[in-house]
Amino acid sequence: MSNRRNNVNSSDPREILYWTRTYARSRTIYFLFQWCLIVLIICVIGLIANLTQQAYINGNKPLFYTSVFFLVVAFLFFVWISISRWTAEIVWQLTIWFYGREGYVLPDDKHQSKTLPRWVIALIGLMLVYHIFGALLISFRYLSLQYLQPFSALALVPVLCILIFYQGLGFWAWIWPVLYGLHAILLICKIPISFPSRWYLLNIMVPVFGYGLIAIIVGHIYSRYALWKLKSISRQGLEEFENLAHDEETDNT
Amino acid sequence: MSELDRIIHEPARLRILTILAGVEASDFNFLLNTLGLTKGNLSSHMDKLEKAGYVKVEKSFNGRIPHTEFQITEKGRDALENYWKELDRIRNLNPPVENE
Repeated sequence: MSNRRNNVNSSDPREILYWTRTYARSRTIYFLFQWCLIVLIICVIGLIANLTQQAYINGNKPLFYTSVFFLVVAFLFFVWISISRWTAEIVWQLTIWFYGREGYVLPDDKHQSKTLPRWVIALIGLMLVYHIFGALLISFRYLSLQYLQPFSALALVPVLCILIFYQGLGFWAWIWPVLYGLHAILLICKIPISFPSRWYLLNIMVPVFGYGLIAIIVGHIYSRYALWKLKSISRQGLEEFENLAHDEETDNT
Repeated sequence: MSELDRIIHEPARLRILTILAGVEASDFNFLLNTLGLTKGNLSSHMDKLEKAGYVKVEKSFNGRIPHTEFQITEKGRDALENYWKELDRIRNLNPPVENE
């Protein structure tokens, strides 16, 4: 029995530790639900903003004031949903439901900070101000539309890198800033990857959310691989040993 | 010469403790699915680990569904660390015979 036990334990158990950690850090469904929520709200705000613009152009005052009212409500709702504990709880419950069959696992927080340092939160605020400033520069034609995404990348890439570092996310998360930065470089090199001016907003929306979604999907696929690896290493010879141990216990009684 | 910890040297318990060392916490379902043990076997191993003070158990309810969460304790982490050290020492004493 002892020899069997030694054989079952002969592979390095630290591999189990590595794949458990990798799996826990690559579970990205929580981020996917957050992503869906943000994209949905931004689409609603975008639609109302478009309606407001049309009402203003056509001189339809009742529709203009109504849409401005709904625009403010939608924006306030967006702010509330971003900071509300209720949203976090709903997203968390959805995540638990999604991973129901696999079970619940909370990533090791030794490598991550539960609360972000104040200077990082300040940096996020500064990044938002920077983007509003960029939008103003474009409105007053001090900045070409073509450079909207590279202008954004200049602030977003380092902030994303800092956030990923502090949250201790897996390799998949780095895909987002890397692709966003590469996109900016390609645009500066005048590679034709931008949308026509009629769809100028997509030049920023598609890279921000598209690359984010790619990172989340890569993370999810990698979590499947990590789980498969974890199961195969952990189960190696275990069933046979457990049956044998059970038989021996039964014999002894 | 110190001996290997008998509680951890059991393959299923070694795996359970190693999994718990890689995460902040996990539930019964996760361990069950990952290790492919029966509910009875897993419960019995968790009992032994809890009695040894290597894991902390927290029972709660998710709505009406009972939820059991496990966490490795500092004592469990130290025991696992010592077990690995001891295992490495034994392996170095008896290097594997290479096939010719």
